Amino acid sequence: MSVDERALQELVVESEDLHADAMRDARAVQPDLAELGASRQGRSPDLDRLQQYDTDRRRILRNGGFGLSTLAARGLLGTAFGAAVLNILGRPVAAQGADVDVQILQTASSLEVLAVATYDAALGLPFIRNGNAVVKEFAMTTMDQHDQHRQAFQSQTEALGGQAQNEPNPPNQQVVDDALPTLMNPLDVANLAATLEEVATDTYLANLALLEDPDVRSLMGSVMGVECQHLATLRAVIALLEADAADLIAIPPMIGQYPAAAGSVAFPQPFEEPNLAEPPESGAIA
Amino acid sequence: MTTPIDNPETVSGIEAPAGMNRRRFLAVSGMAAGAGIALVACGGDDATSTADTTAAGGTSTPAPSTTAATGGGGGDLAIAMGAAGLEVLAVNTYTAGLEAANAGDLGEVPPAVAEFATTAKAQHQAALDAWNTVLTDAGEQAVTMPPADLEETVNQQFSQVTDIPGLAMLANTLEMTAAQTYLDAQAVLEAPEARTLAGSIQVVDQQHSAILNYVLGEYPVPEVFQSTDLSILEN
Repeated sequence: MSVDERALQELVVESEDLHADAMRDARAVQPDLAELGASRQGRSPDLDRLQQYDTDRRRILRNGGFGLSTLAARGLLGTAFGAAVLNILGRPVAAQGADVDVQILQTASSLEVLAVATYDAALGLPFIRNGNAVVKEFAMTTMDQHDQHRQAFQSQTEALGGQAQNEPNPPNQQVVDDALPTLMNPLDVANLAATLEEVATDTYLANLALLEDPDVRSLMGSVMGVECQHLATLRAVIALLEADAADLIAIPPMIGQYPAAAGSVAFPQPFEEPNLAEPPESGAIA
Repeated sequence: MTTPIDNPETVSGIEAPAGMNRRRFLAVSGMAAGAGIALVACGGDDATSTADTTAAGGTSTPAPSTTAATGGGGGDLAIAMGAAGLEVLAVNTYTAGLEAANAGDLGEVPPAVAEFATTAKAQHQAALDAWNTVLTDAGEQAVTMPPADLEETVNQQFSQVTDIPGLAMLANTLEMTAAQTYLDAQAVLEAPEARTLAGSIQVVDQQHSAILNYVLGEYPVPEVFQSTDLSILEN
């Protein structure tokens, strides 16, 4: 394996610097959210908003779901993508009186809690702990990034007057519990991690249509933009592991030795499809 | 069942603008987008690439200028127009890159890189088609040309590309600009379906960027939270 560990470490440090900048930006909107949260404290459910939520959803469904005639014209609405979006939009409001944005943030927190725990467990496996240095570094860095996402979602939950979710997402916890005893090699771990990253990406994508608060939407989109890169990286890693080319998982890369397919495996479709999205109430606190 | 086509008023879920009452789309001013593009450090000083990013462009309808966007294309549609302009630029740049590669102007081209460029170009074309359908369904003209000022900047950068890393850096800046613009738009897009479309493209552009980061020897996921520094939306 060819790994310039010093260079890799420098890149991670650079990433941490970028993180510090991003956190500063996130903190900048915190007072606004706290103010919004305070305005919601002790307030009865916003019936107008719940009505608007349902009205919007019904309008979208009435117009063929998703409303994207663009995609309909290209037959995409007849695909799993269209079905998934219809499914998301067709769900009833989880609980009348519940704050949908808070529910969404709690569910997002639950996914991040689970992701951190799963990467932590993976790092305890000997073939990860003592395996490919790039894979190990990726797992460590990704775990830390998910933990920052957890903190951001929990903080915003509280800023909106909700209770921070500290528990893992129940449906996906079951998936992880079932998978952990079966993890025998890096490919197994990468496949499990990719599933969790896709669930997170798809959930946050679906949330963009449902969230009312622009600041929360921005946070959701910002985290989505990172989870999808985790997913892309894992797809590339999986492809190389499946091709028995683990030696090519290196930084700097040996691009000339990669098969052609490596150039497209990370993004199999022009539009992300929220097929694995969890509904808002999936990880919400009852 | 009523189909989207049956209800032209809300056919795309993005209603025609009733005036500018929200943050306006900057289109592509030299200050915002040019600042991002200026970050690109291309391969070398020799201008060996002969293709330019206009080569694969359309014919008649330019992306909105700042004036056009603020004057007649407010709200979600203005963002759709700007997004379409960015997608035209991306398609044209990848097309020009592939032509330069085929002409031997960029040295040896690894198969995975050629595959990347071909796939990314097709995906940006799909994104362009999606935004243009939104626009035409709402009675607007399809966007077939990139924003002139950004195109000029990209052409200038492209003329200095002499190798694959140089092209990858230029492409990565375009991908980040698009992805960050889509993220920035989430705060202002009103139609849920428009937010979903923008988000679904943002994901793919971020994934393009991750692979380009890796190709350039950088960490593929450099940010903990995706930033909007390169967004071309007016703040």
